[in-house]
Amino acid sequence: MRQRRIEDWSRGSSQLHRLHPTVKIAVILTFLIAVSTMRGAVSWFSAVACVLVLAGAMTAHVPLRAFFTRAAAVLPFALCFAILSLVSGEVNGAAMMVLKSYLSASAALLLVATTPMPRLIEGLELLRLPRFLLQVMQFLYRYLSVLMDEAEAMRIAAQSRAGNLLKPEFRRVAAIAGVLFARAWSRAEAVHRAMVARGFAGRLPANRSAAFRPLDAALAVLICAAIAGIRVALP
Amino acid sequence: MDVIALPVVAGMARRAQRNFQDHKIPLMGVMGAFIFAAQMLSFPVASGTSSHLVGGTLLAVTLGPAAASIVMTAILITQALIFQDGGVLALGANVFNMAIAGVLAGYVPYALMRGRRSGIFVGGFLSVAVSAALALGELLVSGVAIPRVALAISAGVFVLCGIIEGAITVAVVGALERIQPGIIRKPHAAARRTTGAVVGVAGLLAGAGALVASEWPDGIENLTGTATAAKALFAAPMADYRLPFAGGILPGRVMAAFIGVAVVYFVCVALSRALRSPGAAVSPEAPKPEGV
Repeated sequence: MRQRRIEDWSRGSSQLHRLHPTVKIAVILTFLIAVSTMRGAVSWFSAVACVLVLAGAMTAHVPLRAFFTRAAAVLPFALCFAILSLVSGEVNGAAMMVLKSYLSASAALLLVATTPMPRLIEGLELLRLPRFLLQVMQFLYRYLSVLMDEAEAMRIAAQSRAGNLLKPEFRRVAAIAGVLFARAWSRAEAVHRAMVARGFAGRLPANRSAAFRPLDAALAVLICAAIAGIRVALP
Repeated sequence: MDVIALPVVAGMARRAQRNFQDHKIPLMGVMGAFIFAAQMLSFPVASGTSSHLVGGTLLAVTLGPAAASIVMTAILITQALIFQDGGVLALGANVFNMAIAGVLAGYVPYALMRGRRSGIFVGGFLSVAVSAALALGELLVSGVAIPRVALAISAGVFVLCGIIEGAITVAVVGALERIQPGIIRKPHAAARRTTGAVVGVAGLLAGAGALVASEWPDGIENLTGTATAAKALFAAPMADYRLPFAGGILPGRVMAAFIGVAVVYFVCVALSRALRSPGAAVSPEAPKPEGV
C-alpha cells in the first residue's frame, strides 16, 4: 500500500532525514515556487531542478525507481491537459505542464519520504499553520489505513454474498458507505472517550522532538537563498 | 488562489474551533479518513467508466459547513502530499474549488430547503458542478488551451458527475438514517439566516461562471490574451503579481513570486496573532495525567 511504503521511507537515517522538518519544508516550498515560475520552453533551470530532485532522492537513500514511479502518480491529470494543449499546437506549453507537475510532485514526495508524519506536523506547526487543521490532519492520517482496510473488507464481503446480482451496484456502494460512515463515527467517539480518559483537555500535547536552533534557521535561509538565486540567475 | 484560500481556511478553522467542543477533532479526522476510504468504493457508471463519492456535501450536512471545509482541506493536503494526487502546485486552487466553494455550494441548497432530501441532492449536484466549473475556468484563465469540443464534453461529464454525487449522497444519507437516526444536522433558523448571506456570494460566483460561459469562446480568448503570462493552476500562488518596476522580464516575475508568497505568509501569521490576542484565554498546557 502506498501510504505504508512512504512510512518506511520516512524512517530512514540519511542526512536529509536528520534535517529539521521546518528547514525541509522551507526549502521544498522555495523549490516549488521556483518551479512554478517556469514558463515557455524547457530551459536551463528545468535541467537544474531535475538534477536537484535527483540529488535529493539519492541523498535520502530511497529506492530511486520506486520513488520516481510514485511521483508519476500525479501525471495522469497533467497529461490529460498536456495532450489538449498539444492538440491545439502548444508543444512548449504541454511539455512545461508535465515537467512542472512532475517536478513539484517529486519535491513534495521527497519531503514526506524523509520526514515521518508527526515530525512533519511539528514542522508545520512551527510555521504557524492553524493548529486545528493540523490536528485534524494528524487524525486523518492515523485512521486512513484503518478505514481503508475496513472499506475493503466490506466490499469483499458484499461481493462474496451478492456476487454479480443485478441489484444496482450503486445502491450497494451507498449502503456500504452508510455503514462505514456510522462505524467511523462511533469509532471517533470511542477514540475521543479514550483520549479524555488519558487526560486530553482540548489540545494534543506539543511534540517537540528537536529544537529549532539558530543553526537550522541559518541553514534554511542559506539553501532557500541559493535556490532563489539559481532561479533568478538562470533563464 | 492561495491568497483567497489561506485566510478563508484559517477563518473556517477558527470558526470550527469556536463552535465545536474538543471532541470534534478526532471526529473530523476520522471522518476525513472515512471520505478517503469511501472514495475507494467506486462503482461502474456507464461504458467502462466508474465514479465515486466526493463527499463535500455529505460532510457538510453531518458536521456542518465550517467543519466540512476543514476536513476537505485536510483531505486535499493529504492527497497531494502522500498520494501525489492533485498536485501540490494546484493545492491552493483545489482547496478553494472543493473545500470552500464546493462545500458551500453543497450546503446552501440543503439549508434553504430546510434539510429536505431534495436539498441534499441539489447540494451534491451543485458542489461537484461548482468545483468542476471553477477548476475549468481557472485552467482557461491560466492560458491552457482547451479545444471547444473538449470543453463541451467536460461540461457534460461534470453534469453527469454532479447528478451521481447528488444521488449517492442522498443514498448514503438514507442508509445512514436507517442505521443511526439523528446523525444528520438539521439546519436551524440562525444557520439559515447566515446561509442567506452566503447565497449572495454564491450567486456572485455563479454569475461570474455564467459570464465566462456566455462569452465563451470570445471571453476566454480575451482572458487568455491578457493573462497568458499570468497566473496558472499549475503555476502557483502569486505568480501573476509582478513587481511594477520590473514588469515582464523574468527575474522580476520570479522575485515577485518569492516576495508575494512571503508577504502572504507573514500577513496570515500576523492576522492570526491579532485575532488571537483579544480572545485572551491562552489555554494552558494540558495538565499531565499522573502515573501513566
